[in-house]
Amino acid sequence: MLNETGDTRVINDCEAAATAAKVSFSDDARRMIPGEEDMRILSDAASKVSPEAVKDLLSLGICIGCVFRLSWVRGHIFSRPSILLSIFNPVIGEPTDSSTHRPTRIEENKDPGSVHSSQVSECEPVICSICLGVLQFTYFDDQKMLVKKDSADELAATIANLVKKEGHEFDDFSLEVSIPSVITENENVVLFYMKKKYGSEQWFQEKTQSERISAKDALKLSLCSPLEKLLGVKSSVSSTFRIRLTYAPPGASRKNQNITEKRQECKRRKTGAENSFSTVHGSLIYGIECSEVTTSKADAGIRKPSDGLEDHENSDCFKFLLEKVNQPCHLEFHCYRTHIYIGGRYLKYSRNVSQTRWYIDDERMGEASVEIIGSNILPMCLCDNYKFHAAGREDINVRMLGSGRPFLVEIQNSRHVPSEALLKEIEVKINNLENKLVMVKNLKLVGSHGWSLMQEGEEEKQKQYAALVWIDRPLTDEDIEAISSSKDMQILQRTPIRVLHRRSPLEREKIIHWMKIEKIAGSSQYFLLHLCTQAGTYIKEFVHGDLGRTHPRPEESRHQLSFDVGDLFLVQKVDATN
Amino acid sequence: MKDHIDAVESNNPGGEEELQRLLAPDVDSLPLSPPSAVQSNFVSYFAPDFMKPGHDQYVYRHANGLCVIGLAPSHVAFKDKVGVTAVDFNVGKTDRSGIKVTGKRKKVFRIGELRCLAGQRFKEAMLLLICGSNARHFESNSALCKVCTNDASYIVRCCVKGNLLEVNDRLIKQPGLLNSSADREGYIAIIMPKPADWLKIKASLIDIEEYKKLKEVC
Repeated sequence: MLNETGDTRVINDCEAAATAAKVSFSDDARRMIPGEEDMRILSDAASKVSPEAVKDLLSLGICIGCVFRLSWVRGHIFSRPSILLSIFNPVIGEPTDSSTHRPTRIEENKDPGSVHSSQVSECEPVICSICLGVLQFTYFDDQKMLVKKDSADELAATIANLVKKEGHEFDDFSLEVSIPSVITENENVVLFYMKKKYGSEQWFQEKTQSERISAKDALKLSLCSPLEKLLGVKSSVSSTFRIRLTYAPPGASRKNQNITEKRQECKRRKTGAENSFSTVHGSLIYGIECSEVTTSKADAGIRKPSDGLEDHENSDCFKFLLEKVNQPCHLEFHCYRTHIYIGGRYLKYSRNVSQTRWYIDDERMGEASVEIIGSNILPMCLCDNYKFHAAGREDINVRMLGSGRPFLVEIQNSRHVPSEALLKEIEVKINNLENKLVMVKNLKLVGSHGWSLMQEGEEEKQKQYAALVWIDRPLTDEDIEAISSSKDMQILQRTPIRVLHRRSPLEREKIIHWMKIEKIAGSSQYFLLHLCTQAGTYIKEFVHGDLGRTHPRPEESRHQLSFDVGDLFLVQKVDATN
Repeated sequence: MKDHIDAVESNNPGGEEELQRLLAPDVDSLPLSPPSAVQSNFVSYFAPDFMKPGHDQYVYRHANGLCVIGLAPSHVAFKDKVGVTAVDFNVGKTDRSGIKVTGKRKKVFRIGELRCLAGQRFKEAMLLLICGSNARHFESNSALCKVCTNDASYIVRCCVKGNLLEVNDRLIKQPGLLNSSADREGYIAIIMPKPADWLKIKASLIDIEEYKKLKEVC
């Protein structure tokens, strides 16, 4: 299969192709033109495949990359399809079916001296019946122009330019590729065929337990190293910066849904196919009917279910099943950074600031909301938008004091990962805003575990409050003592009247862990009530009783006080239970 | 108690003083006698002589639209020396105290799935099944309950047309609540009227100033 002259000719052709096509390869990339090591890998790969099978599959309209994949070849060989083809040149010789194939565009740029390569490339279909051009680096771009790259390097260069245009800063990246499901279906059809035809041959049987590399993985593999070199950073699965390639089958991508659904329908209707040629024809017609119903472009490469393929298949019949594909996929490119979480604690000094933006009938309630934290983070991190999450909440007219309430700001698609210094800067900026309504502490990046911390914070913890209270008679020492000595008082709260219009009417049991009265100098009837309660307790209602709908459990005999709330403050204690 | 205070201090060093400062109110600006919770959160309306002379009731309307119904201080039942001795919710077609609005507001019960709990009265069970919102629509002149003194009994009515959300079933065991705090723990029921229905009935109610003048109550 492979001989010395073949080697040198391949190397010369590649270099010629590079200069002729005038691709802007960096010096590093040029070294990707196969040297000795690469040739060794290639010849090793070549030795694993059956030349007959290769020729057969090529003639079915399958690209050389997919041919190798289906022959269980793995590794870094998918970057340059032309090299793979040239390995087989002596074997393949003249193209078998010139109607299916025609010279690729790049041939026109080549030197006459490399006419040999053009012959080789003539064997390859313009668009592969399986991968629809994905492994041939052929696609429709977003301007609907047909683009054909010679190698993974070229595609990587285009991608790198687009990434740079977006202006992200990143230390690593993660490449995501999405290809249409029709490619897997096409592959299954061909695999079935291969098994029928070559199943008894030794080379097939030896490998049958191994796994084949998927088209998606082959593409990712070939793009990864050039992208790393061009972008100057490593690829990493855990990176927050994502580069996403989405391939959509030709024809409007919206119609793609219909195509898949109809295909599912076709599959469903085809149950228990009999072992006969007529059934194959029947389902073939069905397949065509389905495709015509959904889209005018029957060359969307619609495949039939492999249920219908039975023992009688030969490659002629098979050609019916693999319709000629003459359009590649649409490639959409997108790069973005996934969510980043910034956590901290906030304090609220105003009695006119709600936690979230609040409108009733287009009227703004409160003069601001705690979300100004997010709106100050947004411009500093250069992100698209933010979401504000807090561990619990307080009413608009209740202040948040003490150590503050934990919160998370989820920022989306920021152009760079904020550094500690930047977060410090943001913290200072928010705390020095003119009206000093809200303050933040301990602003820092948190990983996804920050989310679970928040949810814990909401449910389990005890909350501490301070309420300004008035009674209609002077406070006595007995009152103070009675309050101080009650521990873990169980109370029943019906849904407060003030929220009964939008909450389910329930009776909730809550615990008041401890209480303490702090006298106020200058008044015998006003005092501060400090209390520590179970999370979720309605404090106002506990103090004023809510028409008796909040009360201690009847079994508890407590010193009854008649209180009216004058004012309510909120204090957050750092939990002694942690 | 001390350790709780210590816990705050150790986690918030220097912040404790700041906290004290923030919490301490400006005593001079505090009113001698602040408004009560009811006064702050509700607007008080009155329905004098509702359907019968002396049957004076109040309607406290919350900003969210809910109406608390109860006996006004000038109600004829309070003229009795002893006052109210019993409250009976078994009036009209069904026992009102059987109304328990559960959390599942949107659930539709079907007669075919009627299940009676042991001891539950059939009437109460039927009431729960009747409508999709699981709360009963009442007219303004529908009876809520009957309050009894030693000599007489008086019907208390809704005054407001709407969904009956809650009745104060504590009054069954503690009818004295009406004597001690009819305007608070002795409320009768909570009703949710539709906005249009509220506007209609509001026209026939009087506010607290008018009421005081009318009934010479201070």
